[in-house]
Amino acid sequence: MARFRQDRLTEKERFEALLHREPVDRVPFYLWEFSFASVTVGYPRATTFKDPVRSFEAFRRTHEMYDGWHYIYYSPGAIGVREFGGEAKLPTGEYAQAATPVKHIVQSEEDAWNLALPDVKTAGAIPLVMEFAKLQERHGFPITFSSGSILKVVQALTGAETMCRWMMKKPDVLHRLCRLVADFHIAVAQHVIQSFDRPERIIPLTAAPTESNQMISPKHFREFSLPYQKEVYERILAMGVKHINTHICGEQNLNLPYWAEIPMGEPGIISIGHEVDLETASKYFHDHIIVGNVEPAVIQTGTPEEVYELSRICIEKGKKHPGGFALAPGCELPPAAPPYNVWMMRKAINDFGWYE
Amino acid sequence: MVSQERKREILDAIRDAVVRFEEDQCAAWCKTALQEGLDAYEAAMKGLAAGMDRVGELYTRQEYFVPELLLCSDALYAGLDVLRPHIQTGKALTKGKLLLGVVEGDIHDIGKNLVKTMFEAAGWEVFDLGRDVKLDRFVEEQKKTKADVVGLSALMTTSMMAIEKVIGMLKAADPEVKVIVGGAPLNPEIAAKFGADRYAEDAVSAVQEAANLIRK
Repeated sequence: MARFRQDRLTEKERFEALLHREPVDRVPFYLWEFSFASVTVGYPRATTFKDPVRSFEAFRRTHEMYDGWHYIYYSPGAIGVREFGGEAKLPTGEYAQAATPVKHIVQSEEDAWNLALPDVKTAGAIPLVMEFAKLQERHGFPITFSSGSILKVVQALTGAETMCRWMMKKPDVLHRLCRLVADFHIAVAQHVIQSFDRPERIIPLTAAPTESNQMISPKHFREFSLPYQKEVYERILAMGVKHINTHICGEQNLNLPYWAEIPMGEPGIISIGHEVDLETASKYFHDHIIVGNVEPAVIQTGTPEEVYELSRICIEKGKKHPGGFALAPGCELPPAAPPYNVWMMRKAINDFGWYE
Repeated sequence: MVSQERKREILDAIRDAVVRFEEDQCAAWCKTALQEGLDAYEAAMKGLAAGMDRVGELYTRQEYFVPELLLCSDALYAGLDVLRPHIQTGKALTKGKLLLGVVEGDIHDIGKNLVKTMFEAAGWEVFDLGRDVKLDRFVEEQKKTKADVVGLSALMTTSMMAIEKVIGMLKAADPEVKVIVGGAPLNPEIAAKFGADRYAEDAVSAVQEAANLIRK
């Protein structure tokens, strides 16, 4: 067994030092895992979504195993679907990974105009989020909830094709849904923040895959996502939250100037996909913590040496970023990733990630 | 008999209606083409398909994105609905046959649907199995359709692993079968590792890759 250099800081100390813009001993390891945690401790993948207690236990043990940084994020999956009255299917079977809507509840323009903001205290899976948040509080982790994205939730409500068609042909209907989703995120934020004292302990997370330029143009991002996401963040920060974690998912190079307009906290945490170069991200998010961006498919299918090499490249680029850096997969850590490949990321941190 | 000049005008109008995603205009110009005696197949290939070729260029140059492609696709099908009943048997859709589907475990089918459109526009016959397709079904349907190419897609890293398995199953049933793969988590190296014959980065390049594959 390889011996790692002795850390000077604990995971919690290192995370908090980054948030306070203080020096850290080494690059932290943001595992960015969901079902991988359940699989690691022998639970079915769906446990990640439906059982906050076992999910929390799985996250903690997985973090212990790989020295994961002091931030875990819980999602009941398919955010917005159940909360607005729909039904979601949890992943079962060898090849399923994400929770998915059984049926899109907005089937017509009339549905879109009639859809109402739910009572977020009781809606859908929000009680599960709150249950997990209490565990985070009890064990001293930052409290998390979903603060976006706008279009990810709209897409879950309408389906991708309807959303895209309405962008072009019925922008007023789509704006109506974007408004409603923004109000939903703000209402969830109010509920979580009012339920816990000291809002500075709360670090919400936005994951934004639908906004990628593999899907929409920067023009549509600017029209349908930017103003609403910006408003959500401004409201959350005004409630006393100090940092927001944003996953800019996939190929979003053309959107980066717009993301950079959004206040994300002092500092915010920005995680990027492998499609965005870390040096490019560093220019746009100079003062924020940047997290990324080893290609998940390589972590899953590559050799240990390939994963180690990609991790080395990320670390060497990321260490130059003035706002602070954590090594992570470029998106969710695949649940079927070979554990040894994940360990190679941790090993690369030991070999190349020291600041001292 | 329509003049060459008028014929060019009508074909250009059909092409431009596709590019500008003018669904009603596209259908109207296709009706005009038939009324003025143009060959329906020629109108489909030199009007509609030419339009989708241009759309593909705009997508590659990041001037068009998925929403624009979907509306161009709507215009294409509006025109095709008009022309198809008038296309003489034996002339149409003979460039190749594609069996297409999103693999088991994955419901993301917007990319697959665009692939279908681009192949149909290019004159291929497409057998679309839909999304979350059980792996055995690809093998069964390939036996029935004897498609020239099988197209497989996945959007998640976990469902991507089903591609490797189904390629093995397809090749075991018929070692000569040609498989093309695509989807966000894939790349050329992973496609090759999975045993695919070709990788396509997007719906536009998929048509060219498949054409190259059957030309070999």
